[in-house]
Amino acid sequence: MNPDEVEFIGEKQLISIIPTFNSSTIHLVSGDIGPFRASLPLNVPLWIAINLKQQRKCKIQPPDWMDVTRLEQIKDDEKSSRTFTKMPSEHYMIEAKLLLGYAADDISRADEIRTVIKDIWDIRMSKIRSSVDMLIKNGGSYAAVDNLTLMEINTMRPLLPQAMDQIHRMKKERSHLRPPTQNTTLSLLNSSHTSTSK
Amino acid sequence: MSLSQSYKPNYFSIEDILVTQERVPCKFLINVPKLGKLNPATEDLDIKPGTILELPMWLAEPISSGRQPLISIDLPRSYKETHREILKADAVAVDLHKFGINFYELGLYVKHLDPTGEVLKVLLHTFQSRFRLLMDLTENVGSDPTVQNRLDMLERMLFKSGHAARMRLDTWLRKSDLPMEAAAMVVNHKKRKRIDLEDLFKK
Amino acid sequence: MFGDSAYTLIKELDRNPGTLPPYNNELVGEVKKEICHLVQQNHADSMANDESILGENGTNYFPTIRARHAGVQRNLRCLLAYHYNRVKCLRTMRWEFGSILPPDIKANLSSIETNWFSKYSSMLAKYMRSISEDGGLNLTVDLNPPKALYIEVKCLVDYGQYELSDGSVLLLKENSRHFLPRNECEDLIRQGVFQHIVT
Repeated sequence: MNPDEVEFIGEKQLISIIPTFNSSTIHLVSGDIGPFRASLPLNVPLWIAINLKQQRKCKIQPPDWMDVTRLEQIKDDEKSSRTFTKMPSEHYMIEAKLLLGYAADDISRADEIRTVIKDIWDIRMSKIRSSVDMLIKNGGSYAAVDNLTLMEINTMRPLLPQAMDQIHRMKKERSHLRPPTQNTTLSLLNSSHTSTSK
Repeated sequence: MSLSQSYKPNYFSIEDILVTQERVPCKFLINVPKLGKLNPATEDLDIKPGTILELPMWLAEPISSGRQPLISIDLPRSYKETHREILKADAVAVDLHKFGINFYELGLYVKHLDPTGEVLKVLLHTFQSRFRLLMDLTENVGSDPTVQNRLDMLERMLFKSGHAARMRLDTWLRKSDLPMEAAAMVVNHKKRKRIDLEDLFKK
Repeated sequence: MFGDSAYTLIKELDRNPGTLPPYNNELVGEVKKEICHLVQQNHADSMANDESILGENGTNYFPTIRARHAGVQRNLRCLLAYHYNRVKCLRTMRWEFGSILPPDIKANLSSIETNWFSKYSSMLAKYMRSISEDGGLNLTVDLNPPKALYIEVKCLVDYGQYELSDGSVLLLKENSRHFLPRNECEDLIRQGVFQHIVT
């Protein structure tokens, strides 16, 4: 998957906004949204929130985990733990990227938050790398991905699954990978329909 | 969605045709009339039993099997014990491209020639120890093409798709949006045209 | 040695990934000739074999026949792989270049390949038209999840006039910048006329 496809999935996450306009319910394939009443908070999918924000039609209420003290705690836990800790949101990286990118003015201490989240991502990335390396070295055939988010899992695609496929191919009992034989011998020899038979 | 598939050779696979063109040392067990011209060293009409020749895998494989094999195949040098020892000692330090362009793929064809199973072991060991190197290379965001020089063909295939994915992730992390891009073949076509033009000006 | 010309054919494709080298009529003909030649030799020797079984000191040609047969199969594999992979590449080209190929690529096709391309192209177009009731669905665009209705693009070539779906006409010059509806741009981005600008 491409990162923008993962992001597309993550954008379904609901987030609270305070609209600055009035509107009746909008009926979408994915469900109804609204009605919108100015200064009454409501939950909408992230992609709608960003869209409205870009048109300056709402104020976004960041999720409670988007807070420096909370994130510092998460970072410390992540650092001291050998395994992966549970993230406050399945799509924390996507939410952080979109909210900090488009609605930084609605988030207090946005710059600090950006740095801590980047740190958390980096710590987890280096854990992923060393555990993936261990997995391959020890010839493991599966890995537990508890507490990893979709975007994080996706960073190892396609390299890890493809490498595991190759190891599987090598291990397969029969060594002869005889190419499947074709039974079209006669039809091709007799062919007079190709442009080359001059 | 791009579902990238792992390499798996099939009848039409160009890679596998290239691999099976590699020559392996063979010894003729019986007389093969009229095919003396396969052996450039003699003028004889027939190939005599005991003749030692290097034959491409595609020919060696089918005539080495069956009730009356024509030849016996010897393990190519890269897979013999002295070379296996080098890989066992430090597979990461080896320039695998020089060691054997199709080290893994040819290895899969010849591994059954070694009844001890050591060839398979060394294939796995080499791949597993070099995986970290491969992973590090794909994360090298610069596009220096020489980094893959020391990889064998299979590793290069993995490197290419891994590196492309890494570049996309990197762009995603840095930019507000992933840009839509020109189709790969279109880019390739433009590049070629530019090279052609440059050639023209040189003359 | 037999099998060498067939290998050269495959090597040509290998050297040009993602594009099509000129269709090698001459070499394809040579491989075909070699196949026929090997088959004929095998035929003759198998007849000789049948007779010599009866005789005392006849030669056993069976090993020779096996080796030549391996050559026939190799040649066939290369020949089929050559044509198969070219058509596969051609199919991808329909999705990436659209229904009109650049002239220098067209010049590299055999007449059968040209024919195949136009048939595939019209078949795909027909299928895409049939997808929904109102005018069909273009499957070659919208390859990424959309982000915004309008996007910024930079024109990379002197394209000339370009008509938008609302009838207005734009003059696309090299290095000019435009802010356009996403769906009006995607084709031109895919074809390398526009570059999508992101911050």
